[in-house]
Amino acid sequence: MRSPDAAARRGYARPWLRVFMKELHELAASRSYWLLLLIVGALVGHAFITATSIYAEASGVGGGPSALAQGLNPMSGIVVPTFGAYDLAATLLFPFVVIRLVAVERETGALMLMLQAPLSLRAVVAAKGVALIVGWLVAFVPGVIALVWWCLMHGHLSTPEVATIIAGHLLRGVVTIGIGAAAGALASSAASAAIAALTVTLGTWALDYAAAARGGVLQTFAAYTPSAALRVFEQGELRANTVLVMVLIGVGGLGVASEWLRTGRTLVRRCVGVGAVAVVVAIAAFASSRLRMSDDVSEDRRNSFSSEDEITLRGIQQPLAITAYLAAEDPRLTDLERGVWAKLRRTLPDVRVVYAAKGRSGLFERPGDHYGEVWYVFGDKRAMSRSATEEIVLETIYSVAGVRAPTSRSSTAYPGYPLTTVPRFASLVFFVLWPLIVFAAWWSLRRRPKTRRANPSLRSG
Amino acid sequence: MKDDTPLLVARGLSRRFGNFLALADTSFSVYPGEILGLIGPNGSGKTTLFECVAGIMPADSGTVLAGRETLPAESRKDVLYFMPDGVRPWPDQTVRWMLRFVGALFGAHDDKVERIAMELGVDRLLDSLMGELSKGEHKRALLAAGLLTRQPLLMLDEPFDGLDLRQTRDVMEVLRREAAAGRTLFLSIHQLGDAARICDRFVLLSGGRTVGEGTLDELRAAAAAKGAKATSLEEVFLALT
Repeated sequence: MRSPDAAARRGYARPWLRVFMKELHELAASRSYWLLLLIVGALVGHAFITATSIYAEASGVGGGPSALAQGLNPMSGIVVPTFGAYDLAATLLFPFVVIRLVAVERETGALMLMLQAPLSLRAVVAAKGVALIVGWLVAFVPGVIALVWWCLMHGHLSTPEVATIIAGHLLRGVVTIGIGAAAGALASSAASAAIAALTVTLGTWALDYAAAARGGVLQTFAAYTPSAALRVFEQGELRANTVLVMVLIGVGGLGVASEWLRTGRTLVRRCVGVGAVAVVVAIAAFASSRLRMSDDVSEDRRNSFSSEDEITLRGIQQPLAITAYLAAEDPRLTDLERGVWAKLRRTLPDVRVVYAAKGRSGLFERPGDHYGEVWYVFGDKRAMSRSATEEIVLETIYSVAGVRAPTSRSSTAYPGYPLTTVPRFASLVFFVLWPLIVFAAWWSLRRRPKTRRANPSLRSG
Repeated sequence: MKDDTPLLVARGLSRRFGNFLALADTSFSVYPGEILGLIGPNGSGKTTLFECVAGIMPADSGTVLAGRETLPAESRKDVLYFMPDGVRPWPDQTVRWMLRFVGALFGAHDDKVERIAMELGVDRLLDSLMGELSKGEHKRALLAAGLLTRQPLLMLDEPFDGLDLRQTRDVMEVLRREAAAGRTLFLSIHQLGDAARICDRFVLLSGGRTVGEGTLDELRAAAAAKGAKATSLEEVFLALT
């Protein structure tokens, strides 16, 4: 008996490629995808125009006073806000595109036909995932246009920074694909799946809020919510654990979908399959979260201490315990977290933070509550500092650790890149030309002969 | 026509939905090259049986064998292809796209795709969207897709449902040619007249149970053994159920 699978393995049909092309066709037939492209263009355009305008103002356009040049950073000023539109799209628009590609096939019965295709369901779901990544990358075109425009205006861009931010948004899309695919497979309808996906998003926002200044497991989880993970890339930092966990969430979601859609299996077996995927992903994610490899690709080295400080700190092998009597909403805590402790975590082998403030706002702390104090402890030695300034915190740590502070620090000051030019006709491109291009592409792909019963040849398509 | 070694054997298939027993210890054999009809009224469990045999729905108990070897649900697609009734796949794609996709997936050349489309009268619909087709047009488009697959056994759920008299006759002709070319067909049909015109053998299903299996003559004999004098398939069915 001739097996189609065996024949497919011999390569005559290249079934995966066929299914992948089919998924691209399905994506192109999806109105929600074209709507995504349309809206992303407008969002990116608005963000780019606003960002360049503010940047030009800060650079002293129109004869106004310019900010310090060092503060004019195109990554923070232009690239992050322009690509911020994709975070919005990945949160509120892209999930519907993903869900449609997964759930509609089940609702129409096409899944029954695909279950009998000469390739595994895993391969079918993987084809959907890859097609969605391609679709997500196509949506980056307006963002790339904005960056090219910035360069044409002689704006400065750092390739590693831009690549890191684009990678972050790509992985943000991968996370959305995983969540959407799992929701699309598990929920009974596309509408229910959309509600489930949005519930997950709201849940991650709640986790972000709840985990602030809490520490422990909650903070560990919160570090990998889509928003928190994206912030790492937007800071110009490439962390191995963040990348791996985001990939695992995406792949895990697709794995859950492929296990659940095996309708030929009993409910128990499908539940076991989904559970097994969840356990494997959880273990892999936990192992990945322990990785400390990271690279500071920011041009201003915002995620790193000076090289002299880093050398000194790497000589300290003891674990550092920090006890902070600062509330979650205290800006000093935010400054310490993002400005100093994040760098310490990259440099020291073991940093643990205990958040000791009782309230969330810090408004009702009593004098005896030590509010505002931050204790740095190495073994039985400890010192207190109230400062959020990097140099003072480092001096405190050096004194507690009993190491000599570097006598000099190399100064590779970030020069800053002021630019007073604003893009002309950008509104025309993003709000008129881009929608026209999207509409024309949709129209040309959907165009069929006008006569319904004409043109019988298969080769003409 | 009838080879001694069955292509596929179902033994004791059962399936329950809550308190409702949709299939109860159902057994039958499919022989190579035959056109086997699954006959039963609406709600008798025909579609459930097909989905369980195809491995799309899990059976609570029972086995499916290919020859003498048990065929796990995941491997059924190596032996059979099941074209369900009532599905409306890929509504935003054209018939041309659908046929080319299925054809390419199963290694059918465009010539074959074109020939089958023409034989089933689907060639005039190639540029129509799947979602725009009438019930009969949609049925023929999916039949064409089913005929493009390569598995030795093709299971079609209600292949004549929605077709008019002439279309039914044309589709039967195409199916007979497919069987004559060596492919085995297993058709679920609730119109007994249609079944009698095309099938070589029959599996009679009633209330989820197999109440008879064999050629019309064998079924007549079974009815006679029960004391009923039946000549047509309708009479045989009524006598045995």
